[in-house]
Amino acid sequence: MRLIARFCIENSDNFEIVTVYDKTIERTVTDKQNPSVTTISDRYPTAVWFERKMHDDFGISIEGAFDTRPLNRHERFPDVHPLRKSFHESDLRPVPFHPYPYEAIKGESVFEVAVGPIHAGIIEPGHFQFSQSGEGMLHLEVRHFYKYRGIERMLEGKSLKKSSKIIGRINGNESVAYQIARIKIMLEASGRPYPIELQKYHTLLLETERIIHHLTDLGFIPNDAGFGAALAYSSRLAEESRRFLQKLCGHRFGFDAVGWETPAYRQDEIRTFTEKLQKEIDWFEVWITDIPSLWDRFDKTGILTRAKAKKYGCVGVVARASGLQTDSRQEPFYQNHGFRIATEKSGDVAARFKVRIEEIKTSLKLIEAFTGDGTPFTMEQPSKSDYRDGDYMSFAESSIGELFMFMRLKKGKIERFFVRDPSFINWQALHLMMPGNIIADFPLINKSCDLSYAGNDL
Amino acid sequence: MVKFWQKRIQSPTLTENLHLDHELEKIQKEIKEHIYRKFAGSLSIRMVDSGSCNACEAECNALSNPFYDLERLGISFVASPRHADVMLLSGMITFNMYHHVIDAYHQMPQPAYVITLGDCPLMQAPFDKTYALKGNAEKLLPVSYHIPGCPPEPKQIMEGLVGFLRSLGKPA
Repeated sequence: MRLIARFCIENSDNFEIVTVYDKTIERTVTDKQNPSVTTISDRYPTAVWFERKMHDDFGISIEGAFDTRPLNRHERFPDVHPLRKSFHESDLRPVPFHPYPYEAIKGESVFEVAVGPIHAGIIEPGHFQFSQSGEGMLHLEVRHFYKYRGIERMLEGKSLKKSSKIIGRINGNESVAYQIARIKIMLEASGRPYPIELQKYHTLLLETERIIHHLTDLGFIPNDAGFGAALAYSSRLAEESRRFLQKLCGHRFGFDAVGWETPAYRQDEIRTFTEKLQKEIDWFEVWITDIPSLWDRFDKTGILTRAKAKKYGCVGVVARASGLQTDSRQEPFYQNHGFRIATEKSGDVAARFKVRIEEIKTSLKLIEAFTGDGTPFTMEQPSKSDYRDGDYMSFAESSIGELFMFMRLKKGKIERFFVRDPSFINWQALHLMMPGNIIADFPLINKSCDLSYAGNDL
Repeated sequence: MVKFWQKRIQSPTLTENLHLDHELEKIQKEIKEHIYRKFAGSLSIRMVDSGSCNACEAECNALSNPFYDLERLGISFVASPRHADVMLLSGMITFNMYHHVIDAYHQMPQPAYVITLGDCPLMQAPFDKTYALKGNAEKLLPVSYHIPGCPPEPKQIMEGLVGFLRSLGKPA
């Protein structure tokens, strides 16, 4: 079984721990006085962050856990459990600086390199702690949650309608995927089917978002290996695709674009875009595969074996490059429109690069298949009383991987919101790719996975 | 590589959108003139993100693509605050990033300017203030200029930089 998410919900008289696997959902309860739950991290390594988060947010002690350090409460964060219903902002008291014990390998001539939270480029904040032996990396600890904004708490008590703007802005690179996950929950909760016209338009936006994200990576990965020409080429394509997205929905990132209506669009404009980009990407592929010094850096760098990817339950491009058939687009709607999963076997930077090229091509075909005749379509938005109380879950395949969203609704309002970004899983597997590589390859490996900080930190 | 240069030589000058190109040219000219006069030809920007959604960063990265190409105007995004004239701050100031942002600001040589990018730093984005946020950046740092937008498009960022450079007045 693959672990998808593990999180806590506060009920009136107990805490409920929900563990979502790909095949089943487990629910356990623990009383409010001494809440505790047994760890599953011995079987599912990525449960560690879920459980540490649960401890920080709700104060649930994890029995048998080998890692009990705080996750999103940093050195100066007050000693509170902010997702408990009894928490008020007035409870915040300044606390003294308490140092965070990093995972570090000790030994003669072993030293540590600390990078972040503010990085050298235009990039989000996060911390990487390397244990080094000379140039070789022995271990990496990823420490995040610098962008911890309290999104889960922010959405509690909000109506579904009002949640739209926040959910669409949790993660700019995957905005459309987040919005689609939200609208799927709204449709399910109001007992309505997903109209095919609406679904086609939404997935059209999602695939465009994927193309933009992949194109950006296709430039930045060679750029980190010192090949800047690829960045100039693909960032031009990315900009053109972003302008195309703006033409489609009125926003360069698709913010607030996934709604209950589809605007009018011109079929021939979409056709022109896909045909042009198809030619460009074909040319790019021939060009880039012809540069041996670049592939010297890509091949056998940052290998994630299939077995390890499976054990860690990796998702998205990272999993597919290691040979796992993990893609939530493997469903009738996508398959009827010609979706075919792209996988590689070697699990290295080269494999992840190739998967991205392949996925752009697939997305272009899908966009053509999703293009309707461009007539506007409107669906009546469910009203507040149409939403049935209960727990709802939805999935969307963002450009990084499988996105999981959970909402508990009560009287048309969000009682508990939880979202698991694909990056949350993949960040935990990142350290597996490091041993055997030199530290200069870290940017390359990190960029080839291209994980999100904002979606991870919430 | 041969193929690349063959293609490069064969393709004509590309203009995607003449109207936008003209507008950009005007903005670029003004930025270049201001930087020449006020920053001796080079303006160094340190981009610091403190809890944004990454869209502002994506737009800043877009500023270096062949459409906008800010580097040729003398603007460079530098790796250390110690090299920077301007801190471009995006995202809401989170509790966990607050001290690092202040640290970065104090590392900057004076005169140091802070420009807030996007709606988030001034808490104008649709997010509510929560326990994990420090609130309006204007109350925490001496903000010189604000570039609004969610996220501001590359052209708006460039216009914002023009506005900032104008606001500096004449060099002493």
